[in-house]
Amino acid sequence: MSEKVKLFDLSKCIGCRSCQLACKQWNQLPASQTVNWGTYQNPPDLQYNTWLLMRFQEISDGNGGVKWIFRKDACMHCTDAACVKVCPTGALFHTKYGTVSLDVSKCIGCKECVIACPFDVPRYNAEVNKIAKCDMCFSRIDATLEPACVKACPTDALIFGDKKEIVEYAHARAEELGGDASVYGDQFVGGTHLMFVLPDKVPVYEKLPENPRVPVSVIAWKDWLKPLSLIAAGGVLAGSFLHYIIHGPKDTSGNGDAGKGGGE
Amino acid sequence: MEMPAREGVNKMIPQKGMIKVSDSFERIVHWCLAISCLVLIITGLGMMFRSFNFIGIPFGGMTNLKLVHNFVGLFFIPALFFAILVWWREAGKFKFPDDLEWIKVAGGYLWHVDEVPKTGKYNPGQKAFFWAVAFFGTIMVITGLIMWFPLDLPREFVRWMYPLHALGFLVIFAFFFVHLYLGTIGVPGSAQAMFTGYVTRSWAEKQCPLWLEEMEKSGKLEIYGQNTIHVQH
Ligand code: SF4
Ligand code: SF4
Repeated sequence: MSEKVKLFDLSKCIGCRSCQLACKQWNQLPASQTVNWGTYQNPPDLQYNTWLLMRFQEISDGNGGVKWIFRKDACMHCTDAACVKVCPTGALFHTKYGTVSLDVSKCIGCKECVIACPFDVPRYNAEVNKIAKCDMCFSRIDATLEPACVKACPTDALIFGDKKEIVEYAHARAEELGGDASVYGDQFVGGTHLMFVLPDKVPVYEKLPENPRVPVSVIAWKDWLKPLSLIAAGGVLAGSFLHYIIHGPKDTSGNGDAGKGGGE
Repeated sequence: MEMPAREGVNKMIPQKGMIKVSDSFERIVHWCLAISCLVLIITGLGMMFRSFNFIGIPFGGMTNLKLVHNFVGLFFIPALFFAILVWWREAGKFKFPDDLEWIKVAGGYLWHVDEVPKTGKYNPGQKAFFWAVAFFGTIMVITGLIMWFPLDLPREFVRWMYPLHALGFLVIFAFFFVHLYLGTIGVPGSAQAMFTGYVTRSWAEKQCPLWLEEMEKSGKLEIYGQNTIHVQH
C-alpha cells in the first residue's frame, strides 16, 4: 500500500478553521470552554480533545503593514517517529500508509511519547489515563476517504494523496510562490506525512522546530542502552555459568576436610 | 545425634560453633531490598521490551504492571535507604592499599591465586556491589519518580531520565545476578548469612578473615551455643 501524505499549503489558507471543527466532529471530541485571549487561536494549544489547532500569528510584512498567518498544528506523522520508538506497549504504531495511529486500548498513560515527540504533539488525558493525538483519520483513509479536515477545507489549502505526487506538487508550489517559500516535512525524521508549503522562513512560525529530530536521549535509550543491557544480562548469566563449570565454586569448607578438592 | 558444625558447609540450621555475621535487622533490610529489586526488574522488563509485554498478563494488563512497578518502587526507597545505612560502615569504604592488592588478583575468583590478600567483613568486590546499588539505586529512585510525573519539568531534562533509568537497570541487573550466584552456589555456605545469620567458622576464615580476627580480639564475636543463653528444650 502506498504511503499517503497530507499537505497544508499556508498560502491558500483563509483561517476559517473548518478543519479544526471537522476534526472535532469526526473524532467526536468534546468541546472545552474557551476564553477570548485576544486572538482567534482557540484553545491556546493542542489538547487531548483538540488534535488539530489553527495557530494565528500577526507579523510585520516589512512595509509597516501586518501579515496574518494561519498555521495548522497537528501530529506530523513522522517516519522515524520518536513516539512509536518509546511507546512501551505498541499502542502507537505505523499504519500501512506511513501515518502514526494510536490503539487506545493499549495505551497505559505512561506519557513517554509526550516527552519524546520533537513536535510536542501527544496530549495526556488524566481522566482516562490515556494520551490522544491526531491519527490522520485512520478509519477514513483505510476506507479510501480523505481525512475529515481535508474534506472540510474550502480552498484546497489541505490536500491528501499518494506521497510521491504530493511531494512533487509541494515543491512545484513552493517554486511557484518563490521568495522565501519552502517545503517543510520531507527533509527530517525520515519524512513526515503531514507536510507544509511555507511562504515564509521556518523560524517565522511559532512552535515550528527548524530542525526536528528524534531526541539523542531517545536514541541513547532505545538504540544503545537497550541492546547493551541485553548483552550485559546475557554476559553475566553465561559468565556465571561458565565460572561455575570452569573455575568452580569457592571451597569454603574447613581446611583439610576429607573429600574436598583444593580450593582453587 | 550430635553433628559437628564444621563438617558440611550447608548449615541452614545454626549449629554449635557457627559464627554470627548478620543481625536480624540487616537480614530484613536485605530481603526487603532484594525482593523489591526483583519485582522491579521483572515488571520493568515488561515495559522496557515490547516482546516482554506478556509479563503484564498476570498483573491484569500493562497499566497494572506499571502501577505495581511504581508502588514497589516506593517500597524500594526505604529499603535502599536502610541498606545504605546498614552497610555503609563496613562495605562503603575502600581500604588502600589492601583492597588494591585484592583487586589485582580479582580476589582469586577468576584464576588460581596461591594467596589471596585477606579481607575484612566485605571484600572489594562486595564493596563495589554496595556502591553500584547505593549509587544506581539512588539514580533509579530519582529518575523513576520523575518518569512517574514527567509533565511539569523541563522537557529536555526529563528526556534524559529514561536512558539513565535504562543504564541503572544495566548496571544493577549485572551486579544483582553476580551477587545471586556468588551468594549461593558460587560460594557455598554464604546464603545462610542472610537466612539464619550464622555461617561456619571455616567460611568466615576464608571470606572475612580480618574481621574474624578483630572480633575475636575484641571479644565481640558471637558464636552459636556460646556466650549466649539459648532456650532449647
Ligand atoms: S509528530 Fe510526534 S506524535 Fe506525531 S508521529 Fe511524530 S513523534 Fe509521533
Ligand atoms: S502514553 Fe500511551 S501511547 Fe504514549 S508511550 Fe505511553 S503507552 Fe504509548
